[in-house]
Amino acid sequence: MIDNYITAIVALLPLAAIMLTVQVNPYNALVIRGILGAVAALVYAVLGAADVALTEAMVGTMLSITLYAVAVRSSLVMRLGVLQDGQSEAKPIPDTASPLIEKLRAVARKYHLRLELVPYPDRQSLNQALLEKEVHVTCVAQSSPLETSQPYQTMTRIRRLHDIFQTELSALTTLTYLTPPTSGEQ
Amino acid sequence: MNLLLIAMILALLIPMYEAWQDEDIWQKMLAFASIATKTSVMILVVSVLRDDWMIGVTGVIILSVGNAGLMLLAHVIKRVNDGVM
Amino acid sequence: MVNLLSYFCIGVGIVFWFWGTFPLLGKRSLLFKLHSLSVADTLGSMSIIFGLLLKIPSEWSLLILALISLAIWNTILGYVLAYCSTTGGQND
Repeated sequence: MIDNYITAIVALLPLAAIMLTVQVNPYNALVIRGILGAVAALVYAVLGAADVALTEAMVGTMLSITLYAVAVRSSLVMRLGVLQDGQSEAKPIPDTASPLIEKLRAVARKYHLRLELVPYPDRQSLNQALLEKEVHVTCVAQSSPLETSQPYQTMTRIRRLHDIFQTELSALTTLTYLTPPTSGEQ
Repeated sequence: MNLLLIAMILALLIPMYEAWQDEDIWQKMLAFASIATKTSVMILVVSVLRDDWMIGVTGVIILSVGNAGLMLLAHVIKRVNDGVM
Repeated sequence: MVNLLSYFCIGVGIVFWFWGTFPLLGKRSLLFKLHSLSVADTLGSMSIIFGLLLKIPSEWSLLILALISLAIWNTILGYVLAYCSTTGGQND
């Protein structure tokens, strides 16, 4: 014999699962996963499986969500290499580039990425870092200031980022796609 | 008693709807906190309804540990938001 | 008589739940929602558990433990959520 309320409680589980699958933002999806875990623990406990409910609450809701949050935070990042402004350690971001940085940050936020600025002392180490995959994108001021409309030069080695930037910020900067020197590694 | 449980399920549906339609992550966290408390209290109610010690112990553990996990998640998300700025 | 009282307590708790959860749907600020939610949720849950305690006194140790953990943890959780959300919001 199955009571009415058991049916209603079990029906909550697919509801939460559908809510989880339609999420776009990874962090929102993590929170919804927590809700799914709580509902699943309720269903298991009501159906009499106390051990499964306990495992779901401990591992599924607490541990895995925290680990996933850390993993998503460290993987969804776009590292931007910039030149260090003079010798001052405290202010690595060049002030003149701030509208471009703001624009890049807005674009990154649209794709749920986090922008991380990595300062480098000179142009050579910047290029080296891009080649060695320490950074994804580099952004420097144009060496010959002939074109005043596009004062910055942005280089990337990732095709997808290049495509995104081409549609989003072709007015602010020149774009260069750097083909990886050793093919087949990407 | 069954009616009371149905009413609790209805009360549980409100924060679930809220978590689904609101885009702000802190509103979702609020809804999650509400759902976590409500589900564990419902587990306790079911355990008393059936006079079952095992489910009752599970409910109490989920009640306290779920809250702790929620605080952990809140701090992680705060760090994430600080990183984005 | 005791049975009636326990049903009354559980009913009051569910009314508290609805009362605290409905502001969640509105467009109010986060802290307003947090306040109503934490107060009404904690009080409602404690009332429900007290009703259960009246109903089955043999499980008193378990239910008292639930009452204590609910009172302490939910209050702290309210503070933690408020702290995290406000400092995160300032940087936005």
